[in-house]
Amino acid sequence: MLELFIYMQKMADEIGNLILVITLIFLIAPAFIIIYMFVYNERKKRHIKEKMQMKLAFDAEMAKTQLEVQEQTMQTIGADLHDNIGQLLSLTSLTLNSVELEGDPKAKKKVDAAIDLTLRSIKELRQLGKLLQGDQLIAIGLVAAIRHEIDWVERSGKFKVTYVDEGELPADGNTDKDLIVFRILQEALNNIIKHASASHIHIKIEYRDAVLQLHINDNGIGFDADNLQLDKQGMGLHNIHKRAGIIGGDVIIRSKPGEGTAITVIIPYA
Amino acid sequence: MLLKHLTPIIDAELICLGVAIVCLFKNKSKVWRSMILFMLITCLTELGGLYIRRVLNQGNDWLYNIYTIFELGFPSLMFAHLLGKYRNSKPLILTGLAVTIFIYIIELLGYHILGAQDLAISVMSVCFVVYSLVYYYLIIKDETYINLKFSAAFWWVSGALFYYFGSTANNLFFKIIFEQNQVTKGGVSAASLLSYNISTALNIMMYVCWSYSFICKKWLTK
Repeated sequence: MLELFIYMQKMADEIGNLILVITLIFLIAPAFIIIYMFVYNERKKRHIKEKMQMKLAFDAEMAKTQLEVQEQTMQTIGADLHDNIGQLLSLTSLTLNSVELEGDPKAKKKVDAAIDLTLRSIKELRQLGKLLQGDQLIAIGLVAAIRHEIDWVERSGKFKVTYVDEGELPADGNTDKDLIVFRILQEALNNIIKHASASHIHIKIEYRDAVLQLHINDNGIGFDADNLQLDKQGMGLHNIHKRAGIIGGDVIIRSKPGEGTAITVIIPYA
Repeated sequence: MLLKHLTPIIDAELICLGVAIVCLFKNKSKVWRSMILFMLITCLTELGGLYIRRVLNQGNDWLYNIYTIFELGFPSLMFAHLLGKYRNSKPLILTGLAVTIFIYIIELLGYHILGAQDLAISVMSVCFVVYSLVYYYLIIKDETYINLKFSAAFWWVSGALFYYFGSTANNLFFKIIFEQNQVTKGGVSAASLLSYNISTALNIMMYVCWSYSFICKKWLTK
């Protein structure tokens, strides 16, 4: 009888152990699934982040390549204008100078006028060539290049341009960044000339705490900057954003209809 | 009088009902709001079952058999809602419902309403486990990232998985073991005591997960 009781007691313990093992398995299995879900989800998060970073890097690389091609095209056009058309105009000027019209003062007056026009064309062409060949212009320094650009704009007689620069740029400036800042300025001025119907342009460049800020304000017709959809931005604004993005900069555009436009470009400039 | 007989399971259910009322009462989703009703029915069933068993000293299987219908319906609705965000969940859920209801009716006809509906409950549990695993699979497959720590849906499914996965073992394996080895310790079957403790633990785990899920739904899920 005692043996039977001991046997039954042993059986009860074995059943208890079996139940515990099965229970543990049935509890551990979902716990493992849930842990796996968390691990996988973290991996998914990292993967999404990496994909986004890769996309950003790819977009930046694409934009950089596009701008490099654009820059190269501008350089070529600038060089061609200077070397080919410039040479042709110089030849035209020389040829006109060699014409002898001593007996015909009326014709001489006209030839002199033609020579004057040709010389002015050569001068304009050289200026334009310089603006297109930005790297050559930047070689004289960003501030000087901006002044050069302002002279070019003012020469049209349609705009009054004021310019202020605050803070001294580092002597060993960054040529690549200078060129992009210069191109942004050109793009902004081009927009003003084409669309703004402005009479006054104010340009300010300031350098403080390793940050370069370029402000371009005009008193033109303005536009609704708050509700301007990305796809409706013109090429000009798009290019400004794209160029600034390449060098890790930011662009703030403030404008309202009838209240002019203010563009601020913030560039890290160490 | 009933209060002194309250079990940890009923305590957990009442707390979960309270959390559901606070968190889901103003929720926009009808499906999530239906959890309040489900928890209310669950609590009433538990209290009713307790009253019948302890006060009236009668069998309460019939009450739980009726409750099985709600236990099948509400979570199925929730699974349909959660899986529906990723794919057409109707074929899967309707198949599960059809199979479980079919077995429920067969059992009802065979054993009478007063007998326990063990097989129907087991099939229902297996269906819920499958739905849970399908839900996890769909989360893994989906390309969008969700923060699982604060995902109401994820914690609701996890609670259901813990409970129904564990209770499948409780329902199937233990019954077989008990039938073959009726060993008693102090008048109460040792195995049935263990089974009761396991069931209590599973219930508490599920209601903790569900309560957290309701909290996530109100405050944490974006």
